[in-house]
Amino acid sequence: MKTYDRISSGFWLLLSLAVFVESIRLGIGTLHNPGRGFLTFGASGLLGILALVLFVQASIRKEDAQRESLLGETLWQRIVFVLIALGLYSVFMPTLGYLISTFILMTFLFWVLEKKKIGWVFVSSFLSTVMTYLIFSKWLNCQFPDGLFGF
Amino acid sequence: MGFLDSILYGFQVTFQPINILFCGIGVLVGTLVGVLPGIGPAGAMALLLPATFKFSPTSTIILLAGIYYGVQYGGSTTSILVNIPGEASSVITCLDGYQMARQGRAGPALGIAAWGSFIAGTIANVGLMLVALPLAHAALSFGPPEYFALMCAGLLIVTYLAQGSVLKAIMMALVGLILGSIGLDVITGLPRFTFGINELTDGVGIIPLVMGLFGISEILQNLEGSLQREVFKTRVRNLWPSLKDWVEAKWAIVRGSFIGFLLGILPGGGAVIATFVAYAVEKKVAKDPERFGKGAIEGVAGPESANNAAAGGSLIPLLSLGIPPNPIMAIFFSALIIHGIQPGPLLIKQHPDLFWGLVASLYLGNALLLVLNLPLIGMWVKVLEIPYKILFPLILLFCLIGAYSINNVTFDLYVMLLFGVVGWIMRKFGYEGAPLILAYVLGPMLENALRQSLLISGGSFLIFFSRPISAIALGFALLLLLSNLFPYFKKKRQQYDQFKE
Repeated sequence: MKTYDRISSGFWLLLSLAVFVESIRLGIGTLHNPGRGFLTFGASGLLGILALVLFVQASIRKEDAQRESLLGETLWQRIVFVLIALGLYSVFMPTLGYLISTFILMTFLFWVLEKKKIGWVFVSSFLSTVMTYLIFSKWLNCQFPDGLFGF
Repeated sequence: MGFLDSILYGFQVTFQPINILFCGIGVLVGTLVGVLPGIGPAGAMALLLPATFKFSPTSTIILLAGIYYGVQYGGSTTSILVNIPGEASSVITCLDGYQMARQGRAGPALGIAAWGSFIAGTIANVGLMLVALPLAHAALSFGPPEYFALMCAGLLIVTYLAQGSVLKAIMMALVGLILGSIGLDVITGLPRFTFGINELTDGVGIIPLVMGLFGISEILQNLEGSLQREVFKTRVRNLWPSLKDWVEAKWAIVRGSFIGFLLGILPGGGAVIATFVAYAVEKKVAKDPERFGKGAIEGVAGPESANNAAAGGSLIPLLSLGIPPNPIMAIFFSALIIHGIQPGPLLIKQHPDLFWGLVASLYLGNALLLVLNLPLIGMWVKVLEIPYKILFPLILLFCLIGAYSINNVTFDLYVMLLFGVVGWIMRKFGYEGAPLILAYVLGPMLENALRQSLLISGGSFLIFFSRPISAIALGFALLLLLSNLFPYFKKKRQQYDQFKE
């Protein structure tokens, strides 16, 4: 955790600096008349100080007996695949429409992990897409995009 | 309207067919969500929220409340049968519940969890009726300094009760404050931190934020490892606990109910902390504490009562002060705002149908949970047997639909995915999401109260110490902050951490 704390404190320090500068640009006002950046000025300042405290704490702490790897023994490739799929879904859903994009996404998600027969994957994806469409769009009146093909 | 008239009026509202239906759907969906890992009560509420837009605020709140306490109930099923908590508030139930199941006593464990939840829920409802009204009345005299001080104290309690490092929890609260300030400034009406992105003018949406930080991040964490999980193969029978079980569990239920209710009122307390405290108390008062962890029924009854009572208790600050004490109540808060209702001291007076309807629905919902779920336990077990490889794409799809359908913009999907990754990394680095969410929700209110207070006082911070309520609240917050420096409290905290491990 020591290394993680040092890395994360560095990140928070950078974030706090960025917010601090932006708060000043927005205008912190006066105590009589606080400005738009007043609260974030204080919050980012305090965040920066605490990030420094965390960094110092982590630095003077004895190294953990067991150093845990962040992604070492995890199936991180699976996570990357899923995230890419979700990202692409978000980008293409308005163009392709809910039905097509969801069918493709579900096919991928079922296939990438379950590795079942393609027939099973298609049927499951089709059913989950149509069922959610009927429940959320037709019954609960959620507004899904129709896309280029009008459905 | 007198007290009794109000309660009768509440039942009149609740027993309208649409509200009975919403209450039933709420508790069923809540139980399902509690059984399923990953989606969480916030996600479920987000999914159903858009569907409620054409219904009344009362029906909406009845539905959301049903989900909330249904989740508390459903979470215990997975804890007892799979040793995997469906929700964080059922973590501690695994210790004795699963052991009971292994000893062939899954039925009494599930039964006492259900009965404990019912009794605790009822006690919490009575408490809600008795406390919310006078508190709302008192809150009418609160000004911006009092609200600012109460919210500060609330945020500090959240960080103090955090399960990990207090320092990191405070940092998360500060990040939440910064996130909450994105969008239009309430006083000047000018944008800030929007970086020219139109969608950010209204700020970062709470639904995508919560679903990302809690839902997506949990799915990503689950995807890291093996997706296999085993349901303990046992016949679930004798759901009605025996007389001996009742004798052993009765005081645990009562203690759990009061602990849960009181901790539920506290900002940040909520159901999770309540279960840990209830378990610790049961172990402390037991004549033979070595039974705990080996299938003690009090170890199931206490925490399960506590989490349901906390669900009722946490409605009090929201309904009477307009301050959401935990992330789930923040979703309630948003739902009320979406329906054009401002939570706060005037809510009970201006919307008696909503308040009393909700109170009565809590009674109905608790009864429905008991009547519907005990016979349906076999169905929930079947749900548990669905492989996670099939469940997770569906849960992801529900999260996507929930995030999208609030505003019908894909930007919310990006936000959810971004915070999903952030939440996943935060878990790895030992940061908690709860202080961030609460600060994010309270941020705009806190800022408003601070700026108004300073305008009133002509720039003097002494206004917070010259008014008794704000002075007490801030003094308490300060003490809490300083307590981390005292060795005694540090030692206590270490003991608490050791206990948790």
